[in-house]
Amino acid sequence: MKKFLNDPVNFVDEMLEGIYGAHKELTYVADDKRCMVTAKPRAGKVGIATGGGSGHLPLFLGYVGDGMLDGAAVGGVFQSPSAEQMYQVTKHIDQGAGVLYIYGNYSGDIINFDMAAELADLDGIQVKQVVGNDDVASSIVGEEHKRRGVAGIFFVYKAAGAAAAEGLSLDDVIRIADKARSRTRTMGVALSSCVVPEIGHATFSIGEDEMEIGMGIHGEPGISRKKLAPADRVIDEMMERIFAEQDYKRGDDVAVLVNGLGGTPMEELYILFRRVSQLLGERGVKAKHVWVGEFATSMEMAGASVSVLHLDEELDRLVAAPANTPFFKHV
Amino acid sequence: MDAIKASDLIRLFETWKALFVEQRDFLISLDGKVGDSDLGITMSKSFAAAAEAVAAEGEAAGISKLLRTAGATMARTAPSTMGTLTATGFLRASKATEGAEVLGTAEVAGFWRAFRDGVAERGKAKLGDKTLLDVLDPIAVTLEAQAERGASLAEALAATSAAAAQALQSTKSMLAQHGKAAAFQEKTIGLQDAGATVGYFLIRSMADFVG
Repeated sequence: MKKFLNDPVNFVDEMLEGIYGAHKELTYVADDKRCMVTAKPRAGKVGIATGGGSGHLPLFLGYVGDGMLDGAAVGGVFQSPSAEQMYQVTKHIDQGAGVLYIYGNYSGDIINFDMAAELADLDGIQVKQVVGNDDVASSIVGEEHKRRGVAGIFFVYKAAGAAAAEGLSLDDVIRIADKARSRTRTMGVALSSCVVPEIGHATFSIGEDEMEIGMGIHGEPGISRKKLAPADRVIDEMMERIFAEQDYKRGDDVAVLVNGLGGTPMEELYILFRRVSQLLGERGVKAKHVWVGEFATSMEMAGASVSVLHLDEELDRLVAAPANTPFFKHV
Repeated sequence: MDAIKASDLIRLFETWKALFVEQRDFLISLDGKVGDSDLGITMSKSFAAAAEAVAAEGEAAGISKLLRTAGATMARTAPSTMGTLTATGFLRASKATEGAEVLGTAEVAGFWRAFRDGVAERGKAKLGDKTLLDVLDPIAVTLEAQAERGASLAEALAATSAAAAQALQSTKSMLAQHGKAAAFQEKTIGLQDAGATVGYFLIRSMADFVG
């Protein structure tokens, strides 16, 4: 392990201290740095909260800000935050219009967000949930409810956040979040392992010349491990699975997110996008909004994921709406 | 006693607190075989906090409110799966006992039915998955049958405690499907489930309390 660390036990809290020091528009509640909220809540707006384990920056807390999220509870590296932490965030961000939880489909997060919603309900706060499940590789068609949530949740944050910023009701924000969720698909590929600081060694081993298609952002096993192929062939295989999932017609618009997993250079991400763009072009599908960079990482894992959101008119407008968070700015 | 009053409920939580102090090391060793050994710690912590909170609230709050306080306190004290499941059970029992002055056989049956349903919903386990639910379900079913035939509370709980003991034995032959124990699969055969053990302890202690 080669990391910038003091005591690994303090990894998350020292990271948070750095973030609060750098971004004054963020603060925390309940005297707990892991309960992050925006410093300027807007009265009457639907509150949007997320949460999950640390180790994925900019996910989750990096999207707390204007036009996206109002709060995020974060746990230890790859560990769910507690129901109490989520509840504290919920209480703070409720501005009378209810709160929507948007998070990834992991059992630990589900049980704690459910519990937090029940605690908030005792206080008379209306809480609804949309659970991201964009990872095509994690379960078959027909069992989408078993799929994990990965980088594509960014589109759900973006669409729901813009809808809430427009002043829409909780029901409308849920409808839009759920639509963005159901029209987003992601495929990932890993070239090397992540290292959890407190564990200190690689989560899994993978050969120098190997890749694993479909690996999860905590190192969950993927679909196939094989010899690393040229970049275009890797994207061909990933995009084939994405295209198989939705009926993309000529003239349709999509938003594309090419996401680095933490250890892959931007240059390589653009090489990957180049091929994604070619394949979309061949089908007559237009990449109307494109983001290339790090959006949901897995510590130092080398690898990437491609997320595609099949746009409609409403999602097109909302995805393109302005946002200003510590890790994502869009004008 | 024929029925559990609010003041009794506060004492029952004291009893449960003492129970989990006493069983802490046993639960740690049981859970340690196939889990991460935190069950004994989680349970002793959460029942200690709940007992304190309901005592502080006092009997005037009434049964439903006391159960709600216990559940909410547990949810905040023990951020583990079992802590969350137990907390959910008490919150649902609180809803089921709204308006009840005392808990007779019928109300106790309603209490455990709601407790079971809450745990089933939150934990998403099925019967036979080797979890707490495999003891909670026979508890709820037995209590309902006892209530139907008009059994006294002491009688009903004694019968239920016996049914729970048997149900706990049955978990030995089951294969774990959930949580960290699921990774051990076959190794869990022959061991009673740690979560189910907690369920059995709760009902046995309640039966002793009224008996």
